[in-house]
Amino acid sequence: MAPVPPNASNPALARFPAEVLEAYQRYRTQGDAGAVEAVVIAAVVDYRPSGTGSAPAVADGTLLIEDLGYDSVAVAELVFFLEDLFDLTLSNDDIVSVRTIAELRSCVNRKLAGKVRTA
Amino acid sequence: MNPVVTGVGFITPIGNDRASVERSLREGRHGISPAVFLGNPDLHVKVAGVVKGFEVDSPSWRDWSWPDDYDIPKEVLRGLAPHGLYAICAVDQALASAGLKHSDIAGDPTTGLYCASAGSAMLLHHNLAQMRAVRGVRGNPMGVVSSIAGTLNFNLAAHYRITGTVCGFVSACASSSHALGYAIDDLRLGRIQRAIVVGAEELNADSLLPFAHMRALSKQRDPRKASRPFDVERDGFVGAGGAVAVIVEDPRAASARRAVALASAAGWGQAADGYSVAASHPEGAGLLLAMERALADARIGPDDIDHVSAHATSTPVGDLAEAVALRRLFTSRNLRPPVAATKALTGHGLSVAGVMQAAFCILSIAGGFMPGNAHLGVAGAECEGLELPRDSLRRAPTTVLSNSSGFGGSNVCHVIAAPGKITG
Repeated sequence: MAPVPPNASNPALARFPAEVLEAYQRYRTQGDAGAVEAVVIAAVVDYRPSGTGSAPAVADGTLLIEDLGYDSVAVAELVFFLEDLFDLTLSNDDIVSVRTIAELRSCVNRKLAGKVRTA
Repeated sequence: MNPVVTGVGFITPIGNDRASVERSLREGRHGISPAVFLGNPDLHVKVAGVVKGFEVDSPSWRDWSWPDDYDIPKEVLRGLAPHGLYAICAVDQALASAGLKHSDIAGDPTTGLYCASAGSAMLLHHNLAQMRAVRGVRGNPMGVVSSIAGTLNFNLAAHYRITGTVCGFVSACASSSHALGYAIDDLRLGRIQRAIVVGAEELNADSLLPFAHMRALSKQRDPRKASRPFDVERDGFVGAGGAVAVIVEDPRAASARRAVALASAAGWGQAADGYSVAASHPEGAGLLLAMERALADARIGPDDIDHVSAHATSTPVGDLAEAVALRRLFTSRNLRPPVAATKALTGHGLSVAGVMQAAFCILSIAGGFMPGNAHLGVAGAECEGLELPRDSLRRAPTTVLSNSSGFGGSNVCHVIAAPGKITG
């Protein structure tokens, strides 16, 4: 992974709570893969369409479409946000295989690990 | 029987509701404010017709704010350009004004949507720059629907669940007059029973400054001098943003639901200059023919017109062409209907301009007044014989001619009449 400044931040995260920014910085500065989870969950909650009832507690098995009311456009927006934030690329096959929060987190971590290996 | 207008909605530099717009028109209150673009105070553009109560400068809808009266879910916002936000607010007002709920039009195959938009240059630029920065690997998935010229029809059709006609018009400053005209035709042909017509434009560096590079904008910093149509010292137009919507209905359908007709859409006509990509024909040839065709469509003559809403943007060439055309139609017959140039108050809203003027005519008819020519000092010699009152008149017009002209020489004119005045 390329060296990053110690206070690595991203303007795209400006609207998120401080703990999400801190998690992102921890990932960027220390390569802490465990910190990615907080960012992914915050993004999932943020991009969830409105008008689909109150948000259920987000857990590993929470389904993006069935539980959180995601439609294909919201999924595309979420993926674009994560791709841009972490500078990675999710293929259509990757996206289709993701149904739950845990699967999304694993997918992002797998892609990030691939980046480290090829860096 | 002619289609009738049953609702109007306004997000404009001179007010964000019918009452405040009407007050501004009656009192000659302008909505032009100092404006700095791209943080560069040295630009020649010093003022603009700015919509108040909205903050939409950011390319991200998450940074926008708008009046609390409008509840817009984020799955709608994510596909909108700034002018799309204006448009939804204007349509919501127009529907309420017509006594219609969203549920009345959702899924109704007899309701059509007629939009005028030039797209969002700001979002197009932002999204493509983002894509180019990563050499095409990724881009905003909403980039297309939020920024290209069909953005209004895409978004509003989905938001309001329109299942009748949906279409968009892109003839620059004549485009929302085209939208109104084709809505009227579809109503006359019985294809639909009700039309939502909306034009919208955003105001930012990307939408406006290219006109400065055409040398089309006023360089004045005094709002009272910057937009002064027909004045001998006019030096260009003042850009404006906003959205205006009107609800037009089949008269029988409107009557059946006991809707109040504000005015009737009595006729329209169009003709092109066949002359220049940007400049008007020097004698207003296309505009004159468009006015004659609108009158013929309404089956009336020039002597039936008792008020004219001029396109007049405050450019030297455009106002001259319109003045010549108006003199040929009216002055040559010893007719002097009061002519109003309301862009002195609003600035020039491009894609919204035509339907904005049409809606102003509707307010004039319903409210019993005629707007004046604010900021007009000495009229150019080409205006000799035209009646150009400075202040508004407390006199109700019954039959109004509203003019629009756009790039490429498109000219579109509408005859708007008091309900029942012209039966069609």
